[in-house]
Amino acid sequence: MRKAYLILLLLISISCFSQNKQILYNFTSVPQSLTTNPGADFKYNYYFGVPLLSGVSLNVGSTGFSTYDLFANDGVNFNSKLRNVLSSTSRKDKVTINEQIELFTGGFKVGDWQDHGYVSFGMYQEFDFLSYMPKDLAILALDGNKHQIGKVFNFADLNLKTEMLSVLHFGYNKNIRENLIVGARAKIYSSIFNATSTNNSGYIYTVPGTTTAYEQVIYSNAQLNTSGISSYIEENSDIDAASDIQRKTFLGGNLGLGFDLGFTYYPKKNIQITASILDVGFIKHSKEVESFTYKGLYKYEGINPSFNGVDDPRSIYQEFKDAIPLDTIYTKYTTWRPTKINASYQYSFDDSRGADCNCINNDTPYKNAVGAQLFVMTAPRAPIMALTGYYRRNVFDNLQMKATYTVDSYSFTNIGLGLSTNVGKFNMYVLADNLLEYRDISKANSLSFQFGFNFIFKDNNEPF
Amino acid sequence: MKAYLINRFFGILILALFSFSCSSDLDFNQANDLKLEPVFITNLSYFDIPANDFVDNGTEQNISFDAQDFDVFRDSFLRENLRRADFSFEITNTINRAYSFDLNLIDQNDAVIYTIRMNIPASTGTAVIRNKTEIFENAKLDLLKASRRMEFVLVMAPGPALSENSLGSLKLRSSATVYLVVE
Repeated sequence: MRKAYLILLLLISISCFSQNKQILYNFTSVPQSLTTNPGADFKYNYYFGVPLLSGVSLNVGSTGFSTYDLFANDGVNFNSKLRNVLSSTSRKDKVTINEQIELFTGGFKVGDWQDHGYVSFGMYQEFDFLSYMPKDLAILALDGNKHQIGKVFNFADLNLKTEMLSVLHFGYNKNIRENLIVGARAKIYSSIFNATSTNNSGYIYTVPGTTTAYEQVIYSNAQLNTSGISSYIEENSDIDAASDIQRKTFLGGNLGLGFDLGFTYYPKKNIQITASILDVGFIKHSKEVESFTYKGLYKYEGINPSFNGVDDPRSIYQEFKDAIPLDTIYTKYTTWRPTKINASYQYSFDDSRGADCNCINNDTPYKNAVGAQLFVMTAPRAPIMALTGYYRRNVFDNLQMKATYTVDSYSFTNIGLGLSTNVGKFNMYVLADNLLEYRDISKANSLSFQFGFNFIFKDNNEPF
Repeated sequence: MKAYLINRFFGILILALFSFSCSSDLDFNQANDLKLEPVFITNLSYFDIPANDFVDNGTEQNISFDAQDFDVFRDSFLRENLRRADFSFEITNTINRAYSFDLNLIDQNDAVIYTIRMNIPASTGTAVIRNKTEIFENAKLDLLKASRRMEFVLVMAPGPALSENSLGSLKLRSSATVYLVVE
């Protein structure tokens, strides 16, 4: 069991979360693009997603190593692989996992044909995990300090957070001018569980000493905040996980508030600029809160006998436990959602309906478009960034395609493809990136995959 | 008809994506082979006794001793995963008397179960340094694990008389190298 924990700790240290949805962003034939930009240029009379299947997305990434590096069935001893991975990664490497499932979603048009806006709403469940490589702690666990005399092991390398939450959202977007759409979305978060340990500091070092063989100091200022899991880790817990998660999903967890903002602007008919900021929000953890602290300073000198006849029994073990106690505290804490910023610039060409056409239509008249996107997400240390170039094409009237090329900290060869098709009112879409990595999934540093099914009733924008 | 074509196109595309994808042979059971073998160096003990501490009201104290709790094996993790421990001692004598140093390991029944002895000759102006390393493995390691207290005994051999003004000191610096195997 201890082994399982160690592996988990290590895996945690390797993964990271990028929530970049570069294919979905501004892919306005898919209603879910509204979740990446509340001001997306998506027009409808009304739409609704197939419950539980309207938006399923999974995104995993690891900057330092791949599954193959650790688990390849190549006869190499697992412990040597672990060492190789450890030596080839740095404390900046991270492992991320992001998973989202839309429980329900829908939208409708409000107002008359002259003055109208679009309402969209829904609820999704999300799981996030981010951990940096706890390099120094891993070295200490794997090798000890014997060959590292003089090295200061940094406790700040331990930096991770994980959360499961549900989000109930309600958005509105509107053409405030002919060429400018703005949108906003309000969000209520209900955290199902949270574990955050991102502000650790401390060190441990061993250097040759004078009065003692070594000077050994351990200073720790570490804290792990948790909410929603205390009843699970309790001994003799007989909690019914399914019903507990269900209750917390439907606003029974720790609640928070947030918003998204976005716009789409057409300075010219064939030039489009968009931007959005997502998940500006916080969650206040006050229910089932349990935090563990490990704080203190201890200078370990060893046993010092006193030959003066005075009996003063000391317990090193107890001294250490008193100097750096493991405490459990029950105070409320607040976490901020990872805020994401998207922006894009798009140039469209090849007007399929000729230059004379002056008709207003929600579908773009252009068959082709090229553009660039920027993605930035806040993370405990430095923001995660990605730059994407893309080509978008209406293959047929009912089949849209978007191909992307993304450069980020995970890879320089991330090619993605998104397809969306409408069969009558039925819409389905599949988006996948890192297609080159599908040649051997086990060697991939990051993968994301998303699909969903919706019913879309198009906006005719006619006066009746 | 067109819808049918699109569907087929779509289907083939998804199929292609997955049929071209593959994965190298992975074996997640390897995780069970995880074996951590860290080696830690840590202080064990120290003292620095000035020569005049061996004199009490003008009388030489030929035997000094003290017992201290040695309770690190209260920690079950250490108890279960310790494979070997090396105790290293370095005694520096600058007193003009010879000493014998005993480190007794005492179990919970107050019985001495192991003794580490070092003899340190008298200093004749220069510091006398003696080193010793004791390796605890296998059956000997079990004795160490059974220890609850450590008794330090210093016996001063006869020699030139010491007074309250005698110079020099007897100094111990000791460390432990701990070999763990965590499986």
